[in-house]
Amino acid sequence: MTAVQKRIIINRLALAFSTLSAVIALAFLFWILGVLVMKGVDALSWNIFIFEGSPPGYEESGLKHALVGQLILVGLATLIGVPLGIMAGTYLSEYGKNSKLAHSIRDISDIMMSAPSIVIGAFVYAVIVMPMGHFSAWAGAIALAIIMIPVILRTTDDMLQLVPGTLREAAFALGAPKYKVIIDVVYRGAKAGILTGVLLGIARVGGETAPLLFTSFNDNFFTTDLNEAMPSLTVTMFNYAISPYDDWQQLGWAAAFILSMFILGLNILGRLILLAGKRK
Amino acid sequence: MASIIDIKEECALQVRNFDFTYKGAPAPSLKKVTMPIAKHAVTALIGPSGCGKTTLLRSFNRMHDLYPGNKYEGEIEFEGRNILDPKEDLIHLRTKIGMIFQKPTAFPMSIFDNVAYGMRLQGIKNKTELNDRVEKALKDAALWKEVSDRLKNDANGLSGGQQQRLCIARAIAVEPEVLLFDEPTSALDPISTQGIEKLVIELKERVSIIIVTHNMQQAARVSDYTGFMYLGDLIELGHTEELFVTPKEKLTQEYITGKFG
Amino acid sequence: MIDKIFLNMTRTSALLILFIVAWIFVVLFNQSTEAMQTFGLDFITKDEWAPNLDKFGAYAAIFGSVASTFLAMLLAIPVAIGVAIFLSEIAHDKIKGFFGVSVELLAAIPSVIYGMWGLFFFVPILRDIFGGMGIGLLAAGIVLAIMILPFMAAVTRDAMNTTPDILKESAYALGGTQWDVIKDVIIPYAKAGIIGSLILALGRAIGETMAVTFVMGNVHHTPGSIMDPTTSIPVTLANEFTEADSSLYFSSLFGLALTLLIMSFLVIAIAKFYFLRKVRKGQ
Repeated sequence: MTAVQKRIIINRLALAFSTLSAVIALAFLFWILGVLVMKGVDALSWNIFIFEGSPPGYEESGLKHALVGQLILVGLATLIGVPLGIMAGTYLSEYGKNSKLAHSIRDISDIMMSAPSIVIGAFVYAVIVMPMGHFSAWAGAIALAIIMIPVILRTTDDMLQLVPGTLREAAFALGAPKYKVIIDVVYRGAKAGILTGVLLGIARVGGETAPLLFTSFNDNFFTTDLNEAMPSLTVTMFNYAISPYDDWQQLGWAAAFILSMFILGLNILGRLILLAGKRK
Repeated sequence: MASIIDIKEECALQVRNFDFTYKGAPAPSLKKVTMPIAKHAVTALIGPSGCGKTTLLRSFNRMHDLYPGNKYEGEIEFEGRNILDPKEDLIHLRTKIGMIFQKPTAFPMSIFDNVAYGMRLQGIKNKTELNDRVEKALKDAALWKEVSDRLKNDANGLSGGQQQRLCIARAIAVEPEVLLFDEPTSALDPISTQGIEKLVIELKERVSIIIVTHNMQQAARVSDYTGFMYLGDLIELGHTEELFVTPKEKLTQEYITGKFG
Repeated sequence: MIDKIFLNMTRTSALLILFIVAWIFVVLFNQSTEAMQTFGLDFITKDEWAPNLDKFGAYAAIFGSVASTFLAMLLAIPVAIGVAIFLSEIAHDKIKGFFGVSVELLAAIPSVIYGMWGLFFFVPILRDIFGGMGIGLLAAGIVLAIMILPFMAAVTRDAMNTTPDILKESAYALGGTQWDVIKDVIIPYAKAGIIGSLILALGRAIGETMAVTFVMGNVHHTPGSIMDPTTSIPVTLANEFTEADSSLYFSSLFGLALTLLIMSFLVIAIAKFYFLRKVRKGQ
């Protein structure tokens, strides 16, 4: 066999292995997705939206408390995290630019994006739960906000930088003060990108369980009191799935399915917005 | 109708009625091009941006095949066969027809390994043979004196002009029949450019050369034949001196005198 | 002047990040001093976690974290590189788009669900093949590998795609096959980016909690074999934080959190500053 023939065979083997890896990866991931859809759809029922949680074995058991709680926690986190994230990103792109400080902030923020979220839960436990003396929705929301800020900071920074410098110069040349240039021209130009960043940020924290475990903790009952432990879809899902009760496990899968659809929906929406923005 | 002179000497390549359509394009980028390429000579392809000269060049070594969806029609004859045939062995073809690109493309390895790469692909393992042929290639590319004492160094340490000569050494080390140059000096300074042009003229003794260039003066300096292309057509092919001094086509004259870029 | 207010608002928000990160380290450090002072170095070297005796040696948790992550890397890296090669070099446009989007969307699935799938669908299979309980180090390693795979494949593919087309074409022009180009041009060129991406994925995997909590077992001892249930730092924190009843217990848990944060921070920082920065400079 000539060397060239040998190389061609090795090439075929290598490409086959790569394709095989891709198939394996996709197989596992579709297995998981398939399981999620099957068990989730199976467990869906109107009860879920009508009833709050109850001890195992009860007919009238649902996830209303967890759904509402999740919305409250994520909504609160968004209210706290999004403005801070966007403003921080604005500073980096419009003021800090390439300064040492700006680079340090970007680097630390990047590292935070991959840091363990359970540690943030422990941190919030120490600074909020312990002084307050009890779990609360505030603590949970703040933990989520801390996780959200680096994501939004990054996307805002990147998207704002994409707005061409000539646009800013044109506004300055007309005599606009800097803050007006940013608000009227830059934000408007990066609108789609920033929105996508926010959606992706929400999707990211919407699926978090670990940071809520000891901040908002959990509750089997419906509540909207922000000063108390707040049920969440993720922690409820965790508790129910790991319990030995069949009906609780069912609810766990239903919760998993609903949450995943929500998060995937946000992701797809975010991408569509970005695509639509690009087409302009 | 194009004015194409009759080449009396032997031809390295013969293009016949060659159509090329890019993937998804509504119309062909090359239209029924017919063109002889003389052996042991330098043929320059000139023309404004988008005229198809690079598209034609990249057809000779079937580079377009890397990006599926393109369509070839017609014939390019080389060594007695049509190399546009889908059954053509591309790996073998590319050892016979080499290419040098617009920017120097030294691989992330040592100078020696760069030049030896093509030979190793062919299975040449004998250390003596490799050493001898690497030295010969570097000498032919006028680079040996500058690098003979640091062959193991990373090729990225060389200057732009040196890297381009390295790429030429790499290409001639496999002893091809034809060398394709795609605007080889567009990223180089004037002195390095001079060096490359000198090299092209020397190399034609052994290989047939086709060079695409944006620079008419360069075409006039290095080539024996020049082909002027416009919007996918070969307008005129002739002896370089004649084409530049007394072009036969009006379009050629307008391009040469700078009426359009 | 409104301009000044705007500048201060944005700058404060930006500085907030640095402040929060520093504060996290400070708080965790403070909270763990009691444990550090009581146990000293034994805290990380002793495999002796006995809450009822108020004795806390976290070696088992640390070992579990390292071992499960190492196992996950062993399984995930070859597959991730294979997928990255497939995505960047083999797949045609339509397939590439489909795969690419699938990979990114699947990376968005909450990790709890990987854990649930692992416990209910994968662990029984392990039980059938290997006997025992099924949950343990091996299950955790595999679930972790599957979880980290989409991210790892995506960033590795991105690193490979930085290779200039013209460089790849040069290798093809000499008669190279696809594998020749991958092995001799793309991988050496993107080496720093590829390694950096893999290490970044490792940094993420170390902090993974929910996927692993379902299948690790929460047994606070170093495992005798790969099939034994054990624990990891995040798993310990998830399971025991709300049950801690003494200040020493709490302090030890905070000590674990601090250890995890430092480990994770170091790994990610190395990936970012050593490998991935090189890539940016090269461009």
